[in-house]
Amino acid sequence: MDQLPNLGREQEMLTEMGMSSLDELFSDIPEDIRRDTPLPLRGPQSEEEIWADAQRLLGANVSLDDRPSFLAAGLARNFVPTMVGMLATRGEFLTSYTPYQPEVSQGMLQAMWEFQTMVSELVGLPVANVSMYDASTAAAEAITCAVRVHRRKSSQNNVVYVSMFVPPQRLEVIRNYTQGSGLEIRILEHLEDGHIDMDSAAEAAGCCAVYVEQPSAFGILDPGLMNLKEIIGEETALIVGVDVVSLGIVAPPGEWGADIVVGEGQPFGIGPTAGGPIYGIFACGERYTRQMPGRIVGLTSDVDGKRAFTLTLSTREQHIRRHRATSNICSNETLIALMGAMHMALLGPRGIERLALRVASATEATKRMVTSIDGIELVDPQAYNFREFAVKLPGQASDALAYLDTNGVLGGFDLGVWWDGMSNCLLIGADERTSESDIEALAAGLSSWLEEADS
Amino acid sequence: MSDLFAFNGAEGAGWSQPLPSLGVDESWSTVPEPLRRASPPGWPRASEPELVRHYTWLSRRNFGIDTGFYPLGSCTMKHNPRLNERIVQLPGIDRIHPLQPEHQIQGLLAIFFEMQEMLAICSGMDEVTLQPVAGAQGEFTAMRCIQEYHRSIGQDHRDKVIVPDSAHGTNPASAAMCGYDIIEIPSAADGRIDLAALKEAVGDDTAAMMITNPSTLGVFEPDISRAAEMVHTAGGQMYYDGANFNAILGKTDPGRMGFDAVHYNLHKTFSQPHGGGGPGSGPIGVKSHLAAFLPSPIANRRERVEDDPIGVGDGYWYVWKEVGESSIGKVQQWHGNSAAVVRAWAFYRRYGRELERMSEHAVLNANYLRHRIMNPDSDTAARMHAMPLDGAPAEVVKHEFTLSMSALKDAVGVTGRDVAKRLLDYGVMAPTLYFPMIVPECLMIEPTETESKEVMDRFAADFHTILGEDPEIVTTAPHSTDVRRVDEVWAARNLVLRHPGPE
Repeated sequence: MDQLPNLGREQEMLTEMGMSSLDELFSDIPEDIRRDTPLPLRGPQSEEEIWADAQRLLGANVSLDDRPSFLAAGLARNFVPTMVGMLATRGEFLTSYTPYQPEVSQGMLQAMWEFQTMVSELVGLPVANVSMYDASTAAAEAITCAVRVHRRKSSQNNVVYVSMFVPPQRLEVIRNYTQGSGLEIRILEHLEDGHIDMDSAAEAAGCCAVYVEQPSAFGILDPGLMNLKEIIGEETALIVGVDVVSLGIVAPPGEWGADIVVGEGQPFGIGPTAGGPIYGIFACGERYTRQMPGRIVGLTSDVDGKRAFTLTLSTREQHIRRHRATSNICSNETLIALMGAMHMALLGPRGIERLALRVASATEATKRMVTSIDGIELVDPQAYNFREFAVKLPGQASDALAYLDTNGVLGGFDLGVWWDGMSNCLLIGADERTSESDIEALAAGLSSWLEEADS
Repeated sequence: MSDLFAFNGAEGAGWSQPLPSLGVDESWSTVPEPLRRASPPGWPRASEPELVRHYTWLSRRNFGIDTGFYPLGSCTMKHNPRLNERIVQLPGIDRIHPLQPEHQIQGLLAIFFEMQEMLAICSGMDEVTLQPVAGAQGEFTAMRCIQEYHRSIGQDHRDKVIVPDSAHGTNPASAAMCGYDIIEIPSAADGRIDLAALKEAVGDDTAAMMITNPSTLGVFEPDISRAAEMVHTAGGQMYYDGANFNAILGKTDPGRMGFDAVHYNLHKTFSQPHGGGGPGSGPIGVKSHLAAFLPSPIANRRERVEDDPIGVGDGYWYVWKEVGESSIGKVQQWHGNSAAVVRAWAFYRRYGRELERMSEHAVLNANYLRHRIMNPDSDTAARMHAMPLDGAPAEVVKHEFTLSMSALKDAVGVTGRDVAKRLLDYGVMAPTLYFPMIVPECLMIEPTETESKEVMDRFAADFHTILGEDPEIVTTAPHSTDVRRVDEVWAARNLVLRHPGPE
């Protein structure tokens, strides 16, 4: 109740209004739909009690920092510089809302304009918005955006191709967001070695959009994707989902034909946070600007000619355009994008390269050590990997993970959960915090699991 | 002026990376040659001290609830308790992966379960999912459930969704994204549902009606049960936009009003901070006939049996429950904005069953502020060019109210926008402007329960002063802000959407 400054002054305020009880304020609710009993909930708690309960409950969780962890599957066990959380929770940032009044919101607007610039630089496309909910909704809305731009001129105007190596949950999100516009989602095939099947790609020529990921869900970096735009043609949007950290060393998709780039922004700015709030990045070529979802900040000036920022192109948005809006998105993930901006700014051009190299080499080191174990093979032995790689085990991945768990190692992700027929495959993820002893613990655990299975 | 891209200091000054601890070279050989990045992104080269100062400078040019009164109608900008920020820094939420096995996230599941139960109780619904990450996504998710429900009973032909003209823009946008056609029905002269217009609109093609109650005018719809009955009789579903839920907790609920589905804005009613525009959290609740269509998974629990580990110590073992084959599938890849749910949980725990007090004070404050604004003393009234007009002619309002500035505009040419901009000079945030569109020159004001009587007295007094000020001062406001009135047209015409980059 310490949140209510007028507690105990109700009568004084009511009297001034010519009323005698709080009930009068609710007299407009018809009697037959009034609740006449108290809410059957627990009693109120003090701040101290809530803190104790929070510590007890959340303390019962096992944090990724408690043990060697190789679980990534689209999120990063990152290290966020201390500065980020401290600055982003300054009340002026934390407790603001959408900057509808630019005159008193220049700070957030400028920070978002800088964010747009850094995302644009990272992916090699000129335009970026201030965030989507996550990588999956960013991918889904990239597809609907592309369809709006290309539907009229494309020869397969009802068709979108999506890589077969997109995680099934992301595909579910894509299906939810696209079913309303009557699109047909076809699957873009990949070869046995994990690389894209160019024959399948050729069939996609002339459809509205092709969505692929670089790296794929298996962490595979496929140089073949660089030829994709040429194959599918000008009137088909190439949408590329990225691991944002990889772009410290991997060529930005905007330089090899991508029309829209999306991805999970989480590695910059915030921990995995049990899946949210995180944020999706969304960047595109100028051809898509007026059809893109989400908020965008533009430069302008005030009446005195002083540099100023403002939200712009709001005529695309639901509060103006209603059912003809490019998206229903209103609340987004700006505060988390702000954290991302701070993290990116602190990394700088050299820092992002070093971070990406660190992740890449941790991936490589883990891969080498794990595949040196007899009986464990890479699913895609020829592939280059970033952050993640898949291995085939002689038994069930779920058994291996349970065994590793009892030995204090979070060993990765059971790919059988995502794809039928892969229940003997383990997706192993490394990151900038992976240490030699972590890798040794994983390898030792896998070895003894294999030995016990043999005996 | 501080410009991020002007920082051009020492190479890699910003990142204190530990020395390599791995027995491999950090080399580019892990990237296939054609795919290697040729030049780094044009990011600033800045050190921590420079960035701390830059972002502190930016923060001081930004207005939040912590800075002052933020009566942004429909957005429920209440105080964000700081305890909640401390809690989400705990590694048991910040350092959790959503795909960790159940036995590693018992505490998270327990909090999810408690929140699902609480939201179901407060709304009169049967099943709740916490997965949607914003109000608009909650709307979309619920409309997808309704769509699949209709398909499951052979009612695929229902392709129309009815929304009042006073609805939030997200309602028609979310329904349209599902593929529905929108029928917008006009409000009655008093701003409430026009039952005659609704009767015209409903039919065999009605999939659902989407409505918020209290309405965007801040007025409770007394005919809501009749409206629900009409829609149900026609075979349609009733969707409750929970944006205005802060007004009615413990007093009534959407279940009693006849709704089938509802979304909650945890970032409004339960105070999750959403700086700059998000994050939100938009769980939905549904009646049992829609539960089979919700996105998976949902938190569940069973009695602890002997071999179970201790868990969180409450005698239960918590699990994820898959919804099953008829589920619409995911709307966000993971379990929603979990840390927003945790903050909302901490907020809820302060009130518990006393959440009703929260709504009482939200409504008390809105009515008090409305009374103060609409009843100036005679001296004050004499100094004003024109009185504001009530957006809706109601005895009492709920958590917010609307004012029309059209009399002021007619009298001296000062618009609602001018008044909003002038309020910024008085150190408060402007109310929501020009919404709902059915009220001319509309200002929509929502004080929330966390503002004191003194703050509202002050706001009313400043408001009265502005209405008596020299129109020249008001129409050219603001005067004391970081920048003055901003040229939004130039921004939209020229689209300078990024910095040209470092020199």
